[in-house]
Amino acid sequence: MMQTLFLIMVSAYCLGALVALSGGRGSLGRGLVALGAVIGAGAGFALAANVILSGTPFTLSVPDLLPLAGGLALRLDPLGAFFLIIIGLGAIPSSIYGAGYSEVYEDGSASLRLLGLALNLFLLTMSLVTFADNVLTFLLMWEGMSLTSYFLVMTESREAGTVRAGIWYLAMTHIGLALLMGGFIVLMNGGSGAFSDLRTSAASLSAASRSLVFLLTFLGFGSKAGIVPLHIWLPMAHPAAPSHVSALMSGVMIKMGIYGILRVALDLLGGGPVWWGGIILGVGSVSALLGVLYALMEHDLKRLLAYHSVENIGIILIGIGAGMIFHTYGMMTLAALGFIGGLYHTINHASFKSLLFLGAGSVLHATHTRNMEELGGLIKNMPWTALFFLIGSAAISALPPLNGFASEWLVFQSLLGGFNLPVPEVALLMPVAVGMLALTSGLAAACFVKAFGITFLALPRSEAAEHAHESPLSMQVGMGILALACIGLGLAPFAVVRLIGGVITGLGGLPDTRAAFTFNLHLQTPGAFGQMSSPLVFLGLLILLGLTPLIMRLLRVNWQLRRGDTWGCGRVGQTARMEYTATSFAEPLRRIFAELYRPSRDVTIDFHPDSKYFVQSIEYRSEITPLFERWLYDPILRLIRFTARQVRKLQAGSLYLYLAYIIIILIILLLAARWF
Amino acid sequence: MNDPLFSQLSTLGSSIVLLFGIILLWRKSLHAYIDAFRWQSVVLSVMLLITGTFSNDHELYAVALFLFILKAVVIPHYLERMEKRFGDHRELQPYVNVASSLILSGMLVLLAYVITRPLVLISDLPTRSGIPLAMGLIFVGLFVLVTRKKAISQIVGFLVMENGIALLALLGTYGTPIIVELGVFLDVLLGFLVMQVFVYHIQTTFESIEVDQMNELKH
Repeated sequence: MMQTLFLIMVSAYCLGALVALSGGRGSLGRGLVALGAVIGAGAGFALAANVILSGTPFTLSVPDLLPLAGGLALRLDPLGAFFLIIIGLGAIPSSIYGAGYSEVYEDGSASLRLLGLALNLFLLTMSLVTFADNVLTFLLMWEGMSLTSYFLVMTESREAGTVRAGIWYLAMTHIGLALLMGGFIVLMNGGSGAFSDLRTSAASLSAASRSLVFLLTFLGFGSKAGIVPLHIWLPMAHPAAPSHVSALMSGVMIKMGIYGILRVALDLLGGGPVWWGGIILGVGSVSALLGVLYALMEHDLKRLLAYHSVENIGIILIGIGAGMIFHTYGMMTLAALGFIGGLYHTINHASFKSLLFLGAGSVLHATHTRNMEELGGLIKNMPWTALFFLIGSAAISALPPLNGFASEWLVFQSLLGGFNLPVPEVALLMPVAVGMLALTSGLAAACFVKAFGITFLALPRSEAAEHAHESPLSMQVGMGILALACIGLGLAPFAVVRLIGGVITGLGGLPDTRAAFTFNLHLQTPGAFGQMSSPLVFLGLLILLGLTPLIMRLLRVNWQLRRGDTWGCGRVGQTARMEYTATSFAEPLRRIFAELYRPSRDVTIDFHPDSKYFVQSIEYRSEITPLFERWLYDPILRLIRFTARQVRKLQAGSLYLYLAYIIIILIILLLAARWF
Repeated sequence: MNDPLFSQLSTLGSSIVLLFGIILLWRKSLHAYIDAFRWQSVVLSVMLLITGTFSNDHELYAVALFLFILKAVVIPHYLERMEKRFGDHRELQPYVNVASSLILSGMLVLLAYVITRPLVLISDLPTRSGIPLAMGLIFVGLFVLVTRKKAISQIVGFLVMENGIALLALLGTYGTPIIVELGVFLDVLLGFLVMQVFVYHIQTTFESIEVDQMNELKH
């Protein structure tokens, strides 16, 4: 049964890739490419659900396929299965959506063949990452995932900036790969690379090399996940890619970094000293706060969403970091709570971030711009997209009863359990993280008021926004599935928490903690410290909605329908230029956090030649200083360029010089062999 | 087999082969280059015959024949044709002048003695005293490659280096199996043909066979 599902998964992806290779054009071709991806992702989803529900891992070993370092070893345990479910959750709607979305490339502006091929191979290699059971398989699939996603980013390579974004992505992902290789080499310590052997041999490593492994792999996986300050590629690569690919990369692929961190730090190394958890918690808090702060200043819809991915990865890491800290002190129930919160937020983020990127893609599809200052009023022409985007915005802002609320609540609960920690210095960390997380949540809500309000409400600010059209059915279906997932995951935390509880049981010696939770209509954390019930909130909202007409009738409100200007505020002759813009909405926060943004402003006023009381035009330009680019990456790049220029002098272009290099090296080597 | 005559003959032969290599550094006309290479190959095939006689390895006769045909007849013939086609070119301005070249080649041979010393010390082959000379010939061939400007002199430098490798193999192991030897000959022939094609292209592109001109390909 599991074997069959696995074969269906692999062959469907391969068929999808083959169809793409043979052209993949026309609605039939695009549909077949998407069908391959959907069936593959569906089979993976079913296989993963099977593994999680039955609790028995799926194993498949092909040692002959690659007779090197143990060959291909595949084993899907519940943790891997959980992430395979996330892949399925993101890939099915995105592929359906992609079938319609990629129609714009039919005019030859991008290669549909490459897009379909890379998409299917990307999904295949990413799925196999979760199966990997030895170092070689893991790294191979990891690199396959990185390379195919690079080609996906490069789909619109003729657009300005795409090539640059691709280079940044490629560089960052390979720095990450180098760190991972280093980490695994230290971890293997000259022995076997099979994960089952590593689990036992990791215990005999010295404390220093264990910490080295942790740091190297944390940074390596972090560069994929997008932790600050390695997040730099996200706001470049995500907007450059086609929207359904952005959804997959942001919603699903960066989660593989989380998977890697859990797999190595918790599963293979079995946890470590308290500062490991502290680092994860600290990096998570900083990523969450900085991610949302930069998102607030962003007026490119997709870049804004990309920065929110940094924020949400931060929230996930806060949960996991708290879990690691509790795990060190043996407080397994609280540790489980932290991990559950983190993983729950992982799957939630996969659903709502994919949904939001698909929504942004629909906006882009309809108006051909991502700049929010040129949008507005889209809700009238694109009601379904607006509804789905609203659901996604509410979910990411953690409004009950949607899914973002449930997982952030769990993360908060685990942090609040920090007063139980025996060491006061560590216990103090927790309230700080609570504060940062709380600030983050509030700012995220403000940011999505901006994103939704400026884009979909108000009056259209440009011709394109005025004549926007609703997206085709396949794109609506893709978004609809994810919107349902957001609602479903939000209404049933009791079921999801129980499942995740099963997933993490046994990792790093975690006992089965599911009994400590109370699963009823409401969810009660261990020790009855807190409880919440999304279904009851939902019910309450419904009742409130039902009561409203009743109360209005009681108050004898005027029932007549009135039409007024959008955002009219009683003015006469309202135009789009009088409205709030994204910039003006974010201005107060720009002032509050001026220390961080260091905004530069530039106002040019053009007066009438006769009197300066008549202004002809005002030009206002304001930019924020990209802190990390300027202070971290620019110096590194300068250093690399300088070194490269020096090395270039060796390449003088003279044939004799090159031949002389050969003879000199030969003589040096011979002499070295003679004396050493 | 451990014949003093064989030992002396192999040392003498190796010295002559090396001398022909050093002649390249002394002469300037391309014609002299080709002649030196031809006579060097002749001596090398004679050495193969001598080794074959003393070691009773009759395969070496066949190798000697092949080597003679290829390196003393075929390749020099084509080299001369190339030379005729491009007119009488002389190696007028090598990167290192003749006097310095001779001194440097002497130092390279000394270096070869230094490097091969451990090998010579532990070896009990009658041919062992020729080994440093063969190594020296490889260095000299490389030195010609680096310092001479004409494409034809560079080809000859490469072929001389190849002769050095063949000599080293002969002295160190009494010749490799014939199948390997044939493979090497084929390699040399093909390498030579490829280089010949390149030289014709360089000539048509730059109207000169000074490899120097290829600097222009940078940027």
